[in-house]
Amino acid sequence: MSEGRLTRRALMASAGGAVLAAPVLAQKLVDLGLPGGPSLRPIEPAFPGKGEMIVQRIRPPLLETPMAVFREGVITPNDRHFVRWNWDMPTAVNAAAHRVAVGGAVRTPVSLTLDDIVAAGEQIEVVAINQCAGNGRGLSEPRVTGTQWGNGAMSCARWTGVRLKDVLARAGLAPGAKRVRFAGLDVPLTDGAPQFIKSIPLDIALRDDVLVAWGMNGEPLPLLHGFPLRIVVPGWFSTYWVKMLSTVEVLTGEDDSYYVADSYRFPARTITPEDKDFPTVPITAMPPRAFITSHADGAVVTKGQPLTLEGIAMGGDAALSSVDLIGEGWQVGCTLGPDEGPYAFRRWSATIPAVTSDLANIGARAANTKGAVQPEVLHWNPSGYARNVIERITLRAQ
Amino acid sequence: MRAATILVAALMLGGCERAPEVTFTDASITLPDDPLDLPPGPGRQAVLENCTACHSPSTMLQQPKVSRAKWESIVGKMIAIYKAPVDKQAVPAIVDYMVHVQATGADSP
Repeated sequence: MSEGRLTRRALMASAGGAVLAAPVLAQKLVDLGLPGGPSLRPIEPAFPGKGEMIVQRIRPPLLETPMAVFREGVITPNDRHFVRWNWDMPTAVNAAAHRVAVGGAVRTPVSLTLDDIVAAGEQIEVVAINQCAGNGRGLSEPRVTGTQWGNGAMSCARWTGVRLKDVLARAGLAPGAKRVRFAGLDVPLTDGAPQFIKSIPLDIALRDDVLVAWGMNGEPLPLLHGFPLRIVVPGWFSTYWVKMLSTVEVLTGEDDSYYVADSYRFPARTITPEDKDFPTVPITAMPPRAFITSHADGAVVTKGQPLTLEGIAMGGDAALSSVDLIGEGWQVGCTLGPDEGPYAFRRWSATIPAVTSDLANIGARAANTKGAVQPEVLHWNPSGYARNVIERITLRAQ
Repeated sequence: MRAATILVAALMLGGCERAPEVTFTDASITLPDDPLDLPPGPGRQAVLENCTACHSPSTMLQQPKVSRAKWESIVGKMIAIYKAPVDKQAVPAIVDYMVHVQATGADSP
């Protein structure tokens, strides 16, 4: 066993010690509305550099953005951006000592400093939504195991960095390059467990908007978000946005590593919960989604009065084309707010001239310029990935 | 905080003509303690000794109610794939505990 990894003896000692010190706290809880529960989550403890967050897990950190944050704008402040680590995260990074190794199928393997990365090419800014592939998993019916997120495992930021292709050019691609794989400073606690490494096809890696980013809303990436560098793949789920980037490896074939070949995969066809053996594909590009942020499920509205509903929407891997507010047998087109680019949240609003009765099962339905439209029925899958069913609420008229 | 100040200053100096200068400063944080709150139940000690070194109890306590067979499969995955150093003899006690905690139905964070 290498230093710092777990032995059974160390594991038992640490567990026993922590139990003796466990405080009993009265905590404020948030109800995520997960069908059948458990649904309550604490907003404690506080994490460094973070405001109020839904604490799904303390270690390794899983922090969900409260839906109320999405009422405030399309850019999520850094202190409210959701947090997700697969393995324990390093809590200190020495900037001067940090290197990014670029190797594999390249002409000349290189080891780049942070200054080398910054100097690799033109500085680029992209506004893009960072969304966990499992966002909304806790709302799946039938329920599935895994991190029980509500819909707040998503956030949107303005990312600053250089193009990944400019970093790759420092090493030069060798003939036969097919994929580009990323690793960060986070490593498994246990010997032999798979490291969290992820790869993308070369054509995605060479896109003009795929970044090695150091800036998040004009600030350095916080450690919780991957200081000093993270990959940004606009339109793709955040599983590929590897944090604390330390290795870029060019592959000449398919990626057989665990988190690509065996995990983060989605059925290749529609399945039912009874289906056992079915082909799967990696979960990659995001589908469109929309949310009502102005009203919560069960809220009371005034009969006889006009009602304006507001929310946010995203196109996913293409620009948003439209949002409709839909009910049972009716729909209203929504007005879209300022456009921060194809991969950003966009605000929408719609006004109903006069509320005549309860507004049952209303929802916002987004469509993107590739023709993808949010479905009426959940594309159920055993890992709860890529939820984008229309999210519905009911408002009571009084 | 210091790093943030430096970057913002650099952005202002940079103006529109050329890319802002970027400066990196060492970063460190202290993560909060994990109190390992686990409700009472048979097998609780086995869970503390075998599961909570890698992750907080919430990973288990927040799961939807699933069958004993599913819990056996989850513990098996922790051992086979994530190489959790779990004492094989403790597996039935771990599964007993999870089934018990879910049967009590407490909506505990």
